[in-house]
Amino acid sequence: MRRLRPYSLPYLLWMGLFILIPTMILVLLAFSNLELYNLSLFQLTLQQFRIFSQPQILNALWNSLKFSLLTTLICFILGYPIAYYLSSLKEKSRKILMAMMIVPLWSNMLLRIIAWEKIFTPTSIINDLLGISFDLLGTETGVLIGMVAMYLPFMIFPIFSVLEKMDVKLIEAAKDLGASDLQTFARVTFPLSSGGVVSGIIMTMLPAMTSFVLPARIGLGRINLIGNIIESKFMKEVLGSSGTSINEGSLISLVLMVFSVISFVMITRADKEGETLI
Amino acid sequence: MGKKLIIMNHVTKRFGDLVVLDDFNLYINENEFITLLGPSGCGKTTCLRILGGFETADEGTVEFDGKIINDLEPNQREINTCFQKYALFPHLNVFDNIAFGLKIKKIDKETIHTRVTEILKLVKLSGFETRAISTLSGGQQQRVAIARALINRPKVLLLDEPLGALDLKLRQEMQYELKEMQKELGITFVYVTHDQEEALTMSDTIVIMNQGKILQIGTPEDIYNEPNSRFVANFIGESNIFEGTMISDYLVEFCGKTFECVDKGFEANAEVDVIIRPEDFDVISPSKAKIVGIVDSLAFLGVHYEINVIVEGREYTIHTTKIRKIGDKVGLSVEPNNIHIIARKNHA
Repeated sequence: MRRLRPYSLPYLLWMGLFILIPTMILVLLAFSNLELYNLSLFQLTLQQFRIFSQPQILNALWNSLKFSLLTTLICFILGYPIAYYLSSLKEKSRKILMAMMIVPLWSNMLLRIIAWEKIFTPTSIINDLLGISFDLLGTETGVLIGMVAMYLPFMIFPIFSVLEKMDVKLIEAAKDLGASDLQTFARVTFPLSSGGVVSGIIMTMLPAMTSFVLPARIGLGRINLIGNIIESKFMKEVLGSSGTSINEGSLISLVLMVFSVISFVMITRADKEGETLI
Repeated sequence: MGKKLIIMNHVTKRFGDLVVLDDFNLYINENEFITLLGPSGCGKTTCLRILGGFETADEGTVEFDGKIINDLEPNQREINTCFQKYALFPHLNVFDNIAFGLKIKKIDKETIHTRVTEILKLVKLSGFETRAISTLSGGQQQRVAIARALINRPKVLLLDEPLGALDLKLRQEMQYELKEMQKELGITFVYVTHDQEEALTMSDTIVIMNQGKILQIGTPEDIYNEPNSRFVANFIGESNIFEGTMISDYLVEFCGKTFECVDKGFEANAEVDVIIRPEDFDVISPSKAKIVGIVDSLAFLGVHYEINVIVEGREYTIHTTKIRKIGDKVGLSVEPNNIHIIARKNHA
């Protein structure tokens, strides 16, 4: 191990430059009134916390929670059966279906969002071809469908990878001991896949909670999630407005970050071998 | 021996073009310890899986207690299995693993507790209730697997090479315990193994299988002493097999010499296989012996020596407690009742 240490230097440097230092700046900004354009006014303060009483912020937090929970729930209800079905397939057909799910993920997320934006426009190509039209731009339903479409694979993959590795003998053992198909699923298959379910839930819920491009474009800016608030706080600073908007943005970011770290700890607890993380 | 509990009638099973069980006929008595013995790929595990309900026979019927059970699901059979690699539920502790079958039947908690405690005592794992499966040794996992399969009080317990993963000492111990358990509980055991010693030690009846067919069924003594084919003779214990000719009743010729034997009823000059077990040769002084050879190699096996003697270019394997050196000239003799003669079959 010691011999290999020099090779980790570029990685450590990268981490330090792009993760550690920015995080420290974020902490500094969140707990001070430091403005990037005016370094002379530096004072530690907790005054940014008052934003958590603003209705606009509370509403965005509530939206984030609501949309991420709903997205996760729908993804789970749709994703588990899909993962189960995939794991029961023969290798060849399974690979084809997996490819059909993975290949779209390689295209840029913004492109996929724009595609949904077009679909949800009344005059979409779907209307031309099939005569079905959707008018879902700016609606909660539209945002929800978009989010489910975006994050469903992240629910399917971890559950699939656990189910695929499951020992068929365990299922045979359960049946041998008198369990019906349903009882086998409830008492053996599902509990044994719970690690994958936890990973799937967290991998869906976190990006859903923090997404901002999707609600901005499909929600036409009418539906604000916490990501949109952070974006606007930072954009104000970029556009030259002063005040403490960047400090407020930093504080919200920091809160989300703490949440992410807690989630990560939960994943690693639920899945000690790391088999479900892609 | 009781009545016939399981009857397999003309059972055939194919996987693609491969015939795994070929017109298989077998009956299993109540309270019998029956062992399916054969090399890997001979169809013994498939036979067990058909009994357990995990495979269905392509042709033929499986009868259990007078009823045909071909189409019954595993969970509807009064048969439980002890799987090859135990297949214990990793998310449940010892108690819950064993109680699984009872909980499925929705038996009340107190009864479950009593019965699990009882069976833990039987498999000598009292006090292990709350242990996680991953913290158990191979032998302990084996015992949990047996307890879990026995808790439903099945009429038949199927065991698929249950001792394969254990070391020799533990295996011998478990062989003894399994046999004791079977006697105590009065349950029919159908045991699959490729280990001939295991089969000889434990079974009431041994079924020798090869390539999906039954070659011989009999008690361990019968099979060891009177193998009905070259394959069986070779598979059960070591054997010296010679090609010989039956001169008349009680007289056989092989290796250019004539020997008295106890077999009769062959045609005159019928071609036969002569089987002599390594331990049935006596090492005597060369001057008194019909067979004289030179010791070619020698190995100490603990209880006895295994020596290879070259006689007129042929190698004989002999087990003896007498010490000889490599290069020694030795004489060999064999008692008439230790010469086993079987009709030569072209395909064997």
